[in-house]
Amino acid sequence: MVSTSAVRVQGLWKRFGQQIAVAGIDLELPAGKFIGLVGPNGAGKTTTLSMVTGLLRPDQGTVEVVGHDVWRDPVAVKARIGVLPEGLRLFERLSGRELLSYSGRLRGLPGAEVDRRAMQLLDVLDLAGAQHKLVVDYSTGMRKKIGLAAALLHNPEVLFLDEPFEGVDPVSAQTIRGVLERYTASGATVVFSSHVMELVESLCDWVAVMAAGRIRAQGPLAEVRGEAPSLQQAFLELVGAQGRGAGADLDWLGGGAR
Amino acid sequence: MSAAAGSASPAGSTGSITPVVVRLKLSLLRGGLRQSGGRRAAFIASAVVALLFAASQLLGFIVLRGHAHIASVAVLGVAVLALGWAVMPLFFPSGDETLDPTRLVMLPLRPQPLVRALLAASLVGIGPLFTVLLLAGCVISVARGAAAYVVAVVALLLALLVCVALARAVAAANVRLLTSRKGRDLAVLSGLVVAIGAQLVNFGMQRLGSSGLGRLDPVADVVRWVPPASAVAAVDSVSDGSYGVAVVQLALTAAALAALLGVWARSLTRLMTSPDASTLQPADTATRERSRAGGLTRLLPAGRTGTVMERSLRYVWRDPKTKAAWVTSLAIGLIVPVFNALQGTGSLYFACFAAGMLGIQMYNQFGQDTSAFWMVALTVSSPRDAYLELRGRALALLVVTLPYATLVTVVTTALLGDWPRLPEVLGLSFALLGAMLATGAWTSARFPYSIPQEGYKNVAPGQAGLAWIAIFGGMVSAALLSSPVIALAIWANVSATGDTWSWLLLPAGALYGAAITYLGLRLAAPRTAARLPEILTSVSKG
Repeated sequence: MVSTSAVRVQGLWKRFGQQIAVAGIDLELPAGKFIGLVGPNGAGKTTTLSMVTGLLRPDQGTVEVVGHDVWRDPVAVKARIGVLPEGLRLFERLSGRELLSYSGRLRGLPGAEVDRRAMQLLDVLDLAGAQHKLVVDYSTGMRKKIGLAAALLHNPEVLFLDEPFEGVDPVSAQTIRGVLERYTASGATVVFSSHVMELVESLCDWVAVMAAGRIRAQGPLAEVRGEAPSLQQAFLELVGAQGRGAGADLDWLGGGAR
Repeated sequence: MSAAAGSASPAGSTGSITPVVVRLKLSLLRGGLRQSGGRRAAFIASAVVALLFAASQLLGFIVLRGHAHIASVAVLGVAVLALGWAVMPLFFPSGDETLDPTRLVMLPLRPQPLVRALLAASLVGIGPLFTVLLLAGCVISVARGAAAYVVAVVALLLALLVCVALARAVAAANVRLLTSRKGRDLAVLSGLVVAIGAQLVNFGMQRLGSSGLGRLDPVADVVRWVPPASAVAAVDSVSDGSYGVAVVQLALTAAALAALLGVWARSLTRLMTSPDASTLQPADTATRERSRAGGLTRLLPAGRTGTVMERSLRYVWRDPKTKAAWVTSLAIGLIVPVFNALQGTGSLYFACFAAGMLGIQMYNQFGQDTSAFWMVALTVSSPRDAYLELRGRALALLVVTLPYATLVTVVTTALLGDWPRLPEVLGLSFALLGAMLATGAWTSARFPYSIPQEGYKNVAPGQAGLAWIAIFGGMVSAALLSSPVIALAIWANVSATGDTWSWLLLPAGALYGAAITYLGLRLAAPRTAARLPEILTSVSKG
């Protein structure tokens, strides 16, 4: 059945010059779950999410979101997904409210409905006080929140968030978390990337572990964690980084001698 | 082991850092050149051009020795050169990475040695070499006698150091200004004011050029007391035997150098000890910028068209890069026809400049979005969406361009009193505007490039070729595309009965412009829709 998986990726490759960013990954992410894509910096998480959301053309492979091919059926896919990319700008010379209004109208929602939803989102995300400020003057946390609001505005079936908690203060992080938990409770799917294992462990019920452009493990959280005491431990074992710590090489570091 | 480590660090700090910084500058130069063949070629080409220019200047000055007004020319030449040095860091703040002291902020350096080192480093490069050649020409042209030649060497060194220190002081003062968002916005526009000011000066110079060099003397009499021109004036004074005047002029230059170094050292210290303003939370969180949206939204059409138009128009006003580009276009589009008309050298056809200059704004539409283009890309899923997007942008442009081009044409016509030609020129303008919009839309889809948001560059490194193809290829194509209307205009002018029919060019040009815009948008839309990821990659480098 197609309907049970929110995202289905097969044989996805991406190469930048000599470097292979994504080396033939297969993924099958179930619908209605809070899904974490974890891996160290440079593992290929952003590249993967960009290809899945249609922002980057893969060298090879297919991507289906809720049963529609991202590259052959963009009309069906783009209306059903919300995206919060990492490292890309917003239209920063608009105020927060104008940005939401622009984003919603661009997606063809009726103006009055956009304004109604935008006001509610601004309230819930604690941005109502800054709604008339230009986004260029927002802090990192506020930018993530306004980006999330723009991604949620058209009530997508699947939400893709690239490092949504990176550089976000604890208060904003809690707000974002609350909104996302409410959103998945209604049956929608959230796919987010992070390199903070504790966060993924506390939020997700399904994880995919990525390292060096490949998927090392995927499945329900408990399954991937296995015998290990924490996801962090399980992850370090998976990517083979165990035991490579501060060894005897740095014996001069610290202590009395300068 | 620890003894060796202990002795290494004091040795490092007592040694002069000047050679280190000079080597750093050379490494950066070499590294920059190694990056790409294009960059190497551009560097060599600009070096050759600059040196040829400087060498011919040097020769020219030597040949002109003894000319009645040569001292005035030399003094003013140095003044203009110094002005260039003062303005240069505003336009190319990132041209020299050793200039940005914030990069050195973590190193334990005191201001005095740092100023010395940076000053020495900034004497390396084509710019200083060019300046030395030019200054040599200036001092040689006014030096007569052994004493004058001795003073000339001192004057050359002083003038060179003043130029370089001036550039560094301006750069350091501006790095500070550029750290705040509002400051950055302002700085982009201040560069623009200088550029437009230069245009005005240029027109002034042209008028002066026609009435002889003697007109320069009164200005030079003042400037010869202004450093670093005063150094060259000192050589002239020595040649005339007025040693007292020469001493004062040299002292003035030396004092200016000391003052500039002082200002520079102070702003360096401030820069390196005070926090970066950009990371501080703005205090005025309560300020509510009143939304002007209400009126604007109601006037615009509904749906994607109005949404896109509204954002485009807001960006013209709020985005410093877009604003600077627009103000430049508006200003040059007005200055060229109107000033030429005022000087009596103009032709009514110059009024087409307004349409042409504003049409350029249609170029690289998606580059103007920067990486925020992803928001557009995610809502374009068919050629139809892409068409609406492009049409919205073209309409936003037309809201300003149509009335403006018409106004400029009418004003130019009034100045020249050539009313019978008005419809013809308006028709030409509209056809040209249409062709620019069409080629602009197509090149936006086909040759997008990044516009860096920081600094004054309008093309990201490595994409200059792309930008040239887009803009110049597009402009040539636009000229070719409007050739039917141009041909009609020529026919109306040369044929005997042409004058009676020339009014027809207005509706013909307008129709032709509209039709070709429509065609251009239609052709660009499927390309845009098919190339969304490629466009996004291309515009995300800034």
